[in-house]
Amino acid sequence: MTPPRRGKTNLTPYFLLLPSTLFLILFFAWPMFQTMVLAFRGEGVILNLREAPENGAAVTGQIRQSAQVILLGNRGIPVAAPAAVSGEEEAPSETGEEAASAAEPWYLIRGLDMANQAFEGWVPASYIREDEPETEGGPFTSGSVRRRDRDVRSEPGPISPVVAQVAQDTAVEIAGQRTVEIWYEVQGQTDSGETVTGWAPSRYLEVLSTGGEQVTGFVNRGDSGEWTLRYIERMFADREFIPALITTLLLIVLILPIQFLLAFIMALLLQSRLRGNTLFLYVFSIPLATSDLAVGIIWFSVFTQSGFLNSLLQGLGLITSPIVYLSVESKHFMILAVVLAEVWRATSIVMVIIVSGLQAVPESYLEAAELFGASLWQRVRYVILPLLKPSLQVALILRTILAFQVFGVVLAIAGRGMTVLANEAYRWYVEFRNPNMAAAYSGFILLLSMITAIFYLRSIRTQEEARE
Amino acid sequence: MAEIRIENVFKYFGKVTAVNNVSLTVHDQEFVVLLGPSGCGKTTLLRAVAGLGLPDSGRISIGNREVTYLPPRERSISMVFQNYAIFPHMTVYDNVAFGLKMRKADKAEIDRNVRRAAEMLHIEEMLERFPSQMSGGQRQRVAVARAIAIKTDVLLMDEPLSNLDALLRLEMRAELKRLLADLHTTTIYVTHDQIEALSMGDRIAVMRNGEILQCDAPTTVYDQPANKFIGGFIGNPPMNFLLGQVQRHNGSLHVQVGDYALKPAPIYDSELKRYDGQQVVVGIRAENMEAMSQPAEDALQVRVMVVEPLGSQTLLTIKIHEDIIKLATHPDFPAVPDQDIWVRFPAEKIRLMDPQSGKTLLSS
Ligand SMILES: Nc1ncnc2c1ncn2[C@@H]1O[C@H](COP(=O)(O)OP(=O)(O)OP(=O)(O)O)[C@@H](O)[C@H]1O
Ligand SMILES: [Mg+2]
Repeated sequence: MTPPRRGKTNLTPYFLLLPSTLFLILFFAWPMFQTMVLAFRGEGVILNLREAPENGAAVTGQIRQSAQVILLGNRGIPVAAPAAVSGEEEAPSETGEEAASAAEPWYLIRGLDMANQAFEGWVPASYIREDEPETEGGPFTSGSVRRRDRDVRSEPGPISPVVAQVAQDTAVEIAGQRTVEIWYEVQGQTDSGETVTGWAPSRYLEVLSTGGEQVTGFVNRGDSGEWTLRYIERMFADREFIPALITTLLLIVLILPIQFLLAFIMALLLQSRLRGNTLFLYVFSIPLATSDLAVGIIWFSVFTQSGFLNSLLQGLGLITSPIVYLSVESKHFMILAVVLAEVWRATSIVMVIIVSGLQAVPESYLEAAELFGASLWQRVRYVILPLLKPSLQVALILRTILAFQVFGVVLAIAGRGMTVLANEAYRWYVEFRNPNMAAAYSGFILLLSMITAIFYLRSIRTQEEARE
Repeated sequence: MAEIRIENVFKYFGKVTAVNNVSLTVHDQEFVVLLGPSGCGKTTLLRAVAGLGLPDSGRISIGNREVTYLPPRERSISMVFQNYAIFPHMTVYDNVAFGLKMRKADKAEIDRNVRRAAEMLHIEEMLERFPSQMSGGQRQRVAVARAIAIKTDVLLMDEPLSNLDALLRLEMRAELKRLLADLHTTTIYVTHDQIEALSMGDRIAVMRNGEILQCDAPTTVYDQPANKFIGGFIGNPPMNFLLGQVQRHNGSLHVQVGDYALKPAPIYDSELKRYDGQQVVVGIRAENMEAMSQPAEDALQVRVMVVEPLGSQTLLTIKIHEDIIKLATHPDFPAVPDQDIWVRFPAEKIRLMDPQSGKTLLSS
């Protein structure tokens, strides 16, 4: 007989650890991390100006996104592959995909300009409607000017000097072709107010005016990012932030006590084993299966001017003309409607949790309490509630977190008349196309949720824990 | 005055009749033990008295007040649950104090009563612990302490000492008995343990299959069991049973066991007439037979099969006719296996029973 070896490690937990860790990382931590990064990192807000029009050249200065700049000149840097014209060959890998995507074919054209003078100069290939080449697959040799009169320039580049103007539909000879990436020589100011000049690819810049001596433009977006608290600061300074926060908190304060009280009473009712209480369970659970937006729409249709409520009141002869419940002037009524809808929608989830908790409370404890003289209220107070603590904790955490995310119901009932945090995140993402601000709001909701979860976990500890 | 009257109580669980037409009166301040095998309905009856499982029919009254359908809290009762049912989220102190708190007793009174009860059950060291930090026996003592911390007319105990070790049980038994005498409560006490039943009860109610078979003083139940079941259930070793034939010799009836003729006590005479020529069961307790190493008048010669010395007595297993029985002798009695001894059956200690129903042949 061999004695059991001491200290032999049990590997089973580690096997279990692996999938759960993977799951956490894949579906939870990684996306969340990405979102949070968005709130603190401005991607493409800084444009690097370089000494020479090439990607590897030394940086002479940095200009912030949307800063005004003066465009001093441009240069078409040839890109090896004519990507846009033949389209059949792959872009060479050395310049990278970015360069290839910004590459633009230009034609060298000859012909007669509007003043009937012979000219030679460059236009973007898109200006020219090419004629069929003489040999199949051969280079284009002729074409005509597309759609309207065009400027012909001395060099490939949108701000190169104009050598001629050519009228619409003029036939021209295509004497050459070059695929280039346009770089601008830019003059602008850094954050610290210093004036700097340097080269930057055209795709980062927007040209505003080409007339006059100076060509002006602004930085459309940058080519590098930075860690910043700008979005957070902007969120706190946002006009809608305080109202959204207050409404969210107000809804929690109004909804949660009602919900827990109702859910508790409903759960006790179900536990009392009255006849037909399974029917109750089904009825109470209907809202669980309804999406929050649908619930919002249902309640919206109750409260609209021609809604159920008005027609009911009118039918009963209580009012003569329909009342407008949901308008910006009657904020309190909107809140009431949202509270009603949320209570209707989400009380059953609390109830289900409490019911399952109640089922885990052995009958004998309640019997003992009753036998030793506890009234219904005393049984609830001294036996049921303490034994339900774990379930209540779960329900509270779940409900509060969900309440911070309240969105569909508010959107459906109040529209823009009332705003909550999740609503703001949505608005920034969809209306203003600003994922950073949306991430900032989402992060704020996450933070609030985590704080409340920790608060609940610490404050509603079981007594055993508290005594240790 | 808190007399408990249980009248014709029935309780069904589906097809099971857990309590079958039970009538029992427990007098004021009396201590009645419910004794019976597992599943015979002891707990169910006790719960009906407590108001936790209402009877399907019948009447229960406590102290001249009908309580059959009253909730427990209106009955002035206290109870020790078989599964303890002490609250896991409360300390021992709070558990014991629970009944007093519900009665809104003042702090000093609560404290006094809790400490008194805890001391009695030797758990005063554990008042700050939680039930999860205690052993089964300790929890059971908390349950008992909780029940005796409040003063009620009726105390119901469902196997309150079942989980204690033998020594502690012995001590607790005596202490409980003394305490209950002091408290003047009327008590129904459920147990499996016949020693507990015999030693504690003023009366013992023996239950089987939901029925009360006999309710008498412990000595009566022991010496004069109402039927074969009780004789076999109570006593260690259980009562011996021999099959005999009623025969008439010289005008008087006696019971023939093998070639040995038993002369029963005169109280059986009237009933025995009806069994003339039929079989009866002869019941006799091991310690009621007289064993002798010499032949004697009226003594039956038997052979010893097994000898079991138990300290205070020696058990001999012997064979009489077809039946194997146990016989208790003084430890000094010289006996070895395969030895012949002589046994005498004192007429007044013999119980005669019907072989079919098991009922004692006494017209009561
Ligand atoms: N809640 C119940 N539902 C269905 N049957 C039950 C229920 N409670 C008890 N019974 C049945 O009723 C009968 C009596 O049970 P009871 O608990 O009264 O026995 P008991 O004498 O207390 O046994 P023990 O000594 O093992 O505690 C048993 O056959 C049991 O199976
Ligand atoms: Mg029982």
